[in-house]
Amino acid sequence: MSSMTALVYVLEEQVRDLLREKGSSRLIDGTAYGFDDWTVFHAYTEQPFTTPSGYVCTCIVVRSDAMGLVDEEKTLAEARHRLDSDERPVIVLIASSDATGSPSCRALVVTRAGVTGADTRFVPRRSELYTRNTGLLETSALAAKRVLIVGLGSGGSPIALELARAGVGHFTLIDFDRLELGNISRHVCGVNDLGRFKTLAVRDQILQKNPYAQVSTMEVNVNQALSQVDEAVAGCDLLIVASDNDQSRFNLNQMSLNYNKVALYGRAITRAAGGDVLRVRPWKGPCYNCIFSSGLVDGREEEMSQKRQALSVLPAYVEEDKINSMIQVGLSSDIAPIANMMTKMALVELSRGIETGISTVDEDLASDFYVWANRREEAYGNWPRMGFKWTHPSILRWYGARVDRDPNCMVCGSHITEDSVI
Amino acid sequence: MAWSSQQSARLRLETDILSRYFPTFSLRDSIIPGHAVVEGTMRSNAGHEYVIRLHVPADLPNSVPVVEIISPILKDRFGHSLVDLGTSYSMHLLKPENGVVRICHYSASHWSPNVTFTKVLLKIRAWIEAYEGHLDSGFPIDHYLPHMQA
Repeated sequence: MSSMTALVYVLEEQVRDLLREKGSSRLIDGTAYGFDDWTVFHAYTEQPFTTPSGYVCTCIVVRSDAMGLVDEEKTLAEARHRLDSDERPVIVLIASSDATGSPSCRALVVTRAGVTGADTRFVPRRSELYTRNTGLLETSALAAKRVLIVGLGSGGSPIALELARAGVGHFTLIDFDRLELGNISRHVCGVNDLGRFKTLAVRDQILQKNPYAQVSTMEVNVNQALSQVDEAVAGCDLLIVASDNDQSRFNLNQMSLNYNKVALYGRAITRAAGGDVLRVRPWKGPCYNCIFSSGLVDGREEEMSQKRQALSVLPAYVEEDKINSMIQVGLSSDIAPIANMMTKMALVELSRGIETGISTVDEDLASDFYVWANRREEAYGNWPRMGFKWTHPSILRWYGARVDRDPNCMVCGSHITEDSVI
Repeated sequence: MAWSSQQSARLRLETDILSRYFPTFSLRDSIIPGHAVVEGTMRSNAGHEYVIRLHVPADLPNSVPVVEIISPILKDRFGHSLVDLGTSYSMHLLKPENGVVRICHYSASHWSPNVTFTKVLLKIRAWIEAYEGHLDSGFPIDHYLPHMQA
C-alpha cells in the first residue's frame, strides 16, 4: 500500500439516511471498493445502486451516539478481527453530525501494519452535483424532465449519457439487444458489460454520471410490444429514436403524433459516411413519414451494423454473402456528430420555456431536418472538397433542409387533424 | 390491444379504396388486431381465378402485410409445387406457412405507411400475370418482374 494519505468517497445521502436511524445497533456492515494500490476507496453504508468497480474490501460503518461519541477501541478491534490473509485493508467509517446538524464522516484504513486516517470526501447531494452547469442550463428544471430513448446502441447510448451529464432526471430506455463484442468499439459501455442488456448497462452508466437519476428500462422489441411502448411515449416529455429499423420509427412516429410529443430521429448511412437528424414537432412540421416519402432520404441507405438488422429488412431469400456484405460499419467518431446534434436538439426541446444560455440555439435550428457528411463517398461522393469555400456543400458541416408537412401524408396529412387523434 | 382510432380510420380508407379497384375483396375478422385479413378473388387475363389473402398487420399501416395465394395449389411449369420451392429469389416467394405460397411484394426497406392494400394487390396482380407467363415460357418470374433495388 502506498504511503500517500488514502482518499475515501462516501455518498452524503447514505450518511444522512444512516444518521436518521433510531435503532440501538450502531455498528453495521457496509461495503467498499479499492483502487490504485489501496489509495482510493469508494465506501457505501449499503449496497451501491450502480454496478461497482474496483477491488472489494471489508467496510464497517459506525453511527455515533446522541453525544456524538463512538467507542473507537471496540470498533478498531472489530476491524482488526475482520482482516484476512490476503492483505486487503478494512475501511472504517465513523458517521456523526456536527454542531450545525450537518452530517460528517471520518474514515480509517485498517491494515496489519496499523491504522491510518484517510481524507473523506462526500459525493454531494443532487443540488450540488451540477453546479458547473449553472448559468448555461437550468439543471433543476431538467431534473424533472422525462426522456424516452429507443435504441441504446452507438447512437442512443452517448445521447443518454450526455443528457444525464446535463442534469436530465428521468429516463426510460428501450432496447432488446445485448452487448456483444462487435458493439464495444462504438459503444459507451465496455468489455465489463459484455452479454448484458444494453438498457441495463447504459442505466449503470447514467447513474455513474447522475446517481439521483430515475432510470426505468424495457427490454422489448418496439414492434412487438406496442401497448407497453405506447404507454411509455404517453409519459415522456421527449422521445429520442435511435433504433435501427423503419418499422419501429413508423410506429413511434404514430405514437408521438397521438400524444403530441416532440420526437428526434437520427441515423447513420452506409459505413457512417454521413447521417441525418429529424425533429418532429407534431402537427407543426413534417412527421417521419413526410420525410421518408419526400425523397430526401432516397439513395442514403441506412448503415447496417449487425446481421439481425439486415435480416429484418431483407427478404428471406437474400443470400448469406449478400447479407454479410451489407454489414459495413463506420467509426465511433462518425456516429458522434449525429449523437451530438441530437443531444443539442434534445436540450433545446427540454429547455423550451426556460431562460437558459442555449436559448439562441433554438433560433438557429430553424429546420426540422439536418444532413451531415463525414466523408465524400456514398451519397456525398460528388460533393466538392472542403477547401476554403463556404458557399459549397462540404463534409463535416450540418445542413438544414426546408421541409414542410406533406398534405398527402397518410399519417399526418390534411385529412387527419390533431383533434382527431388525441 | 384494440385498433387505435387512426387504425380504424385507416381500415375504413383501405376498404373504401379496395371497393373501387378490387370489389371482390373484403375485410374479415377485423375486431382483433393481428387476426384481420383481407380476402378476395383475382382473375388473370387468361381467365384463371386466384384466391388471395392479405394479413392486416397489428401495427397497421407501419409494417409489410403478408400476402398468400390460398387457391389454387400453385405449381411451376415443371410440375413442382411452389410451396416446395420454399423461399425463392427468382420466383419472388417468401417462406411458405401453413402450406400456402407467400408472395414477396414490398421489402421492409421499401415499405411506408403511404402504401395501401390496393397498391400491394396491384403487385400481386402483376405477379399472377408473370406466373402465367412462367407457365407458358418456363422463364422464372423475375424475368418479367425485376427486383426492387435493396
